[in-house]
Amino acid sequence: MKGLTLNCMDRKSEAYELVRRGLKNDLKSHVCWHVYGLLYRSDREYREAIKCYRNALRIDPDNIEILRDLSLLQAQMRDLSGFVETRQQLLSLKPSHRMNWIGFAVAHHLNSNSSKAIEVLEAYEGTLEDDYPPDYEHSEMLLYKISLFEECGMLDRGLEEMQKKESKIVDKLSFKEQMASVLFKLGRFDESESIYRSLLFMNPDNYKYFIAVQKCLGLYADNGQYSAEDVERLSALYDSLKENYAWSSAVKRIPLDFLEGEKFLEAADNYVRPLLTKGVPSLFSDLSPLYEHPGKANILEQLFLKIEDSIRTSGCFPGSPQKEPPSTLLWTLFLISQHYDRRGQFEIALSKIDEAISHTPTVIDLYSVKGKILQHAGNFAAAAALADEARSMDLADRYLNSECVMQMLEADQVGLAEKTAVLFTKDGDQHNNLHDMQCMWYELASGESYFRQGDLGRALKNFLAVEKHYADMTEDQFDFHSYCLRKMTLRAYVSMLKFQDRLHAHEYFHKAAAGAIRCYMKLHDSPTKSSTEENDEMSKLPPAQRKKLRQKQKKAEARAKREAEEKQEDEAASSNSSKSGKKQNARPVDQDPHGEKLIQIEDPLAEATKYLKLLQNNSSSSLETHILSFELNMRKQKVLLAFQAVKQLIKLDENNPDSHRSLIKFFHKINSLPTPVTDSEKLIWNVLESERPDIRQLHGKSLIEVNRSFLEKHNASLTHRAAAAEMMYLLEPNKKMEAIKLIEDSTNSTSSGNNVLGPVNEWQIQDCVDVHKLLETVFGDQDVANRWKARCAEYFPYSTYFEGIKSAIAAYVVDHSLENSPENGIAPNPQLKPKDGELGTLNGTLHIVDDLSSLSIR
Amino acid sequence: MVCIRQATIDDLLAMQACNLMCLPENYQMKYYLYHMLSWPQLLFVAEDYGGRIVGYVLAKMEEDPSEPCHGHITSLAVLRSHRKLGLATKLMSAAQAAMDQVFGAEYVSLHVRRSNRAAFNLYTSTLGYQIHDIEAKYYADGEDAFDMRKPLRQPQPKKHHHHHHHHGPGGCCSHDAPAAAAGSSPQSSNSPDKKANT
Repeated sequence: MKGLTLNCMDRKSEAYELVRRGLKNDLKSHVCWHVYGLLYRSDREYREAIKCYRNALRIDPDNIEILRDLSLLQAQMRDLSGFVETRQQLLSLKPSHRMNWIGFAVAHHLNSNSSKAIEVLEAYEGTLEDDYPPDYEHSEMLLYKISLFEECGMLDRGLEEMQKKESKIVDKLSFKEQMASVLFKLGRFDESESIYRSLLFMNPDNYKYFIAVQKCLGLYADNGQYSAEDVERLSALYDSLKENYAWSSAVKRIPLDFLEGEKFLEAADNYVRPLLTKGVPSLFSDLSPLYEHPGKANILEQLFLKIEDSIRTSGCFPGSPQKEPPSTLLWTLFLISQHYDRRGQFEIALSKIDEAISHTPTVIDLYSVKGKILQHAGNFAAAAALADEARSMDLADRYLNSECVMQMLEADQVGLAEKTAVLFTKDGDQHNNLHDMQCMWYELASGESYFRQGDLGRALKNFLAVEKHYADMTEDQFDFHSYCLRKMTLRAYVSMLKFQDRLHAHEYFHKAAAGAIRCYMKLHDSPTKSSTEENDEMSKLPPAQRKKLRQKQKKAEARAKREAEEKQEDEAASSNSSKSGKKQNARPVDQDPHGEKLIQIEDPLAEATKYLKLLQNNSSSSLETHILSFELNMRKQKVLLAFQAVKQLIKLDENNPDSHRSLIKFFHKINSLPTPVTDSEKLIWNVLESERPDIRQLHGKSLIEVNRSFLEKHNASLTHRAAAAEMMYLLEPNKKMEAIKLIEDSTNSTSSGNNVLGPVNEWQIQDCVDVHKLLETVFGDQDVANRWKARCAEYFPYSTYFEGIKSAIAAYVVDHSLENSPENGIAPNPQLKPKDGELGTLNGTLHIVDDLSSLSIR
Repeated sequence: MVCIRQATIDDLLAMQACNLMCLPENYQMKYYLYHMLSWPQLLFVAEDYGGRIVGYVLAKMEEDPSEPCHGHITSLAVLRSHRKLGLATKLMSAAQAAMDQVFGAEYVSLHVRRSNRAAFNLYTSTLGYQIHDIEAKYYADGEDAFDMRKPLRQPQPKKHHHHHHHHGPGGCCSHDAPAAAAGSSPQSSNSPDKKANT
C-alpha cells in the first residue's frame, strides 16, 4: 500500500488503479480510503476526497491525521459547519495542542459565530501561564481576538481587553489603529482623533488617517459635497494640520478637493509651483481627479497658462522675484500638454509636448506622454512608435518596455509586442515566462488585439489563460489553511479567505471572462471557416472515403501528439542536465499554441454560459455582465433568462443606450413570436405578461413610442441618438432614411467655459468609431458611412481610423526624430533579432520606419 | 500626492501588476500570499490619488535560527512615472520600522544588482546600507548581486525630514532573484507545504 502513494508522483492512472485494488481487497481499511482521498486531493478533486476521508473516518473515527486532512478540505470548500465539527473533534481528542484550540476558534468565526470564537480563545488563554513574555504569535492571537470583539459589536469589552493586554502586543501600529477605530465606534471622538493625530505623526503620508480625523470632527462626506460652512472648517483644520505635519504632501493636496473658486486657485497655485520647480513627472496624474469637479479644469487651465506665460517672459513664477531653473518651463509644458490631452484638444497637446521635446530632447517621459496623446487622438501606430522611441532611450528600464508593449498591442502589432516583451522575460532559451508569472495585463491586451483582428483561437487562448490564473490563485490558498494556524497570523488568514471568496470579481477576471464570452458568441454566429470548409468537403465525399479521411486525420493528430511528447521529453532531459535538477518538472508542451482546438468546440454557447455564470455570481453590479447575459441568452433562445438580463439592465441604468437597446430588442422579438402552443411556451408567455406591467418604460406605450421618448429625453447625446436610430430602424425598417438622418443631425457641441485656446469638443473618438461601424454594418449604407467618416476626420485629424489629414503627419514627426538620433541608425532587416544578454545592441526603433512609411504613403 | 500605507490582502494583485510592470524579477501570486500571511506587517504600498498602486515593498523575516534575528527586503518597486517623490525611501523606512518594532530585527538585508547604480545610491547614501558581501552570478542572467545590510538596533542619527529624499532611482530597485525567492517560498522547509502528505 505504501508504495502506491509514491506512484502518484508521475503515474496517476496506475496509482488510482492500485489504490482501488487495495480497497477491493479490504474495504474496511481506513489507510486505503485515506490514500484514495489523498490521490483525489492531489488532483484538486476535493469533493471526492472529502467522501473518501469520510469513509476512512467511519472505520477509524478518532484518527487525528485523517481528521486534520478533512478539516483542511472543509476550509478549502467552505463547508463551514463541517469545519466546526471536525475542529471540535480534533480539540477534544488533543486539547494539549495549541493549534487545535485556535483552529476551533477560527472555525466558529468563519461560521459566523464570533462570540463563540472569543469564548474558545479565552478558554485557551486560561490554560496558559500568566507571566509569559510578549511574543509575536501571542500578540497576533490577541489582536485577532480584539478584532472579533469589534466585529460582533462588543466594543467595551474590546477596549477593556486592549487596555489590559497592551504590554503583550508587539504590533503597536495595528494596536493603535484598532484602538482608534473602537473609540470612534464608541462615539469617543476626541480620544479617537488624538490617536489618529499620533498615527499621523508616525506616517503623515497615510491619507486614511486624515480622513479619519475628518470623520472624528464630523467633517466627512462620502460624495465630497460640503456646505460653505463645512468648507470653512475643513480649511481651518488643514491649515492647522499643515503646521504640525509640514512635510506631508497630503495636507497640501487634500484641500484641493474641497476648496472652490478663488481659494482653489490660490491653493492649486501654491501646490504646483514647488513640484514644477522640482520636475515631478506625476504631477498631472495627481491632479487629474480634480477634472471630475465642475469648473476646476478651467481654473487649472488659466493657472497653468499664466505660469507658462510668466516663466517665458520673466523666468519667474507670477509675482515671484526668484528665478526658476530652465527645467521649470519644460515641466510646465509637460503639465500643460497633459492637460490638453485630457480635454481632448490633441493638437494643442501635441504642440506643447513637441516644444518640450525640443527644449530638452533627452527627457524620456516626454516621448511616453507624446505617445499617449497620439494614442488618445487615434493614431495607434504612431503611439507605439513613440513608446518604442522612449524604450530605446533606456533599454534596461522594464517600465518603458511594458508601456511600449501595451502600445504595440493597442496598435495590433502582436508579434512585435511579444518580441519586445520577451527581452525581459526569457526563461532559459525557450520561451518567455509571461504566462508563468501570471502577467495578466499582457494576456488580456493580446487577447483583445487578436479578437479585433478576428483570430478567435488566439484570443480565446489568452482569455482562458487569465481565467486559469484565477483558478490557480483559488488553489493557492490550500497550503495556508494549516500554515496560518501554526503561524498565528489569523487576522491575515481570515481576510485572505474573504479575499478568495470575491477573487473572481476582480477586474482582470471580469475582462477575461467577458472576452471569452464574446469569442464564443462570435464562434456561434459564424463558425470557423476551416471547420465549415472541411465539413463541406467531407459532405461531398462518399461515406467510405469520408471514413478514410477521418481516420487519416486521427492518425495525423496522434502523430503530432507523439512528436510533441517526444519533444517534451527531450526538453526535460536537456533542462535537467543544464540546470542540474533545478527544475525537475519540465513544462508540458503546449499542444495547441494557437488556440485552434479551442475554436473547434461543439457548443460554444455552452462554454460561454460557464463564464457568464461566474460573472453573474461575482460582478452582478456591472452593466456589461447583463449585456452579455442578454446577448447570450437571446442566442440560446432562453427567453426568461434574457428577460432577467433586461430587468437588471433597467434597474442598474435605464438611461444607458445598451439598456435601451436590450429592452427594445427583447420585446420586439417577443412581439414577433407566434402564439404559444406548447405548455412550456404558454408558461413563459404568462410569466412575461405578468411581469410586463412592472417595466415602467412600457406603460401604455408601443415600442415605437418608448423609443421616441428615449430619444426625446437624451436628444443631445450622440450615443443615445445612435441607439434610438438603430432601434427605429429595427422597429420600422421603412424609416431607414429617417433613422440615418437622426444620426447625421447630431451636433458635436462644445462645452461651455472660458477656454483660451479653442473649444473642447464633446464627442469621444470611440463613440464616433462605433457609430461608423453601425452605419456600415447594421444600416449597411457605405455612402452614409463614408460621409460620417469624412466628418469625423475633421474632428479627429490624427485618427488613422478616420484617415484624418494629420494621421500621416505624426509619422513625419517620428521620422524626423529618427534622423536626429544616429544611434538608432538604419539597418536593412526590420526584424528584431535580440541576442542573449545584448540588450544594448538591440535596435528598437527599426520597425517604426516600416510601420509609418506605410502610413505616410497612403 | 501619494499615500503610503500598510498593504492589505486586496492590494496583492495590484502589487503583482506593479512588479510585472517595472522589474525583471517576478513572482507568482502564491509568493505574495506567503508574505502577506507570514509577516502582514512588512508589506507597504504607495497608492496614488486615483487609488492606483504605484509602488510597494515586499519584505520578510529570515527564520534561520543559526543567524541573528533579521529582516530581508524581498522586492521594492516604484513605477517610473512616480519618481522624484521619495516613495522608495518612505516605503523602505516603513518596512524597516516594522521589522524593528514588531519582530525585533537586529538588521535588515537586501540584494541589489551590481549594475543598478541608482538603487545602490539610494541604499547607501539615503538609507544607510553597507555592502556585506558579493554574491556572484546571483541573478538568472548571470549578474552579481551586492548583499547589503543595515543595522536597526543601534541608535540611528535623526533623519532630516522630507527635503533629503533621494530622488535617484527610477523603476528598478531591490529585488530577490526568483531562484532565491523560490527557496523561501511556501514550498520550502518552514512553509505551509511542509506536511502536505501523510
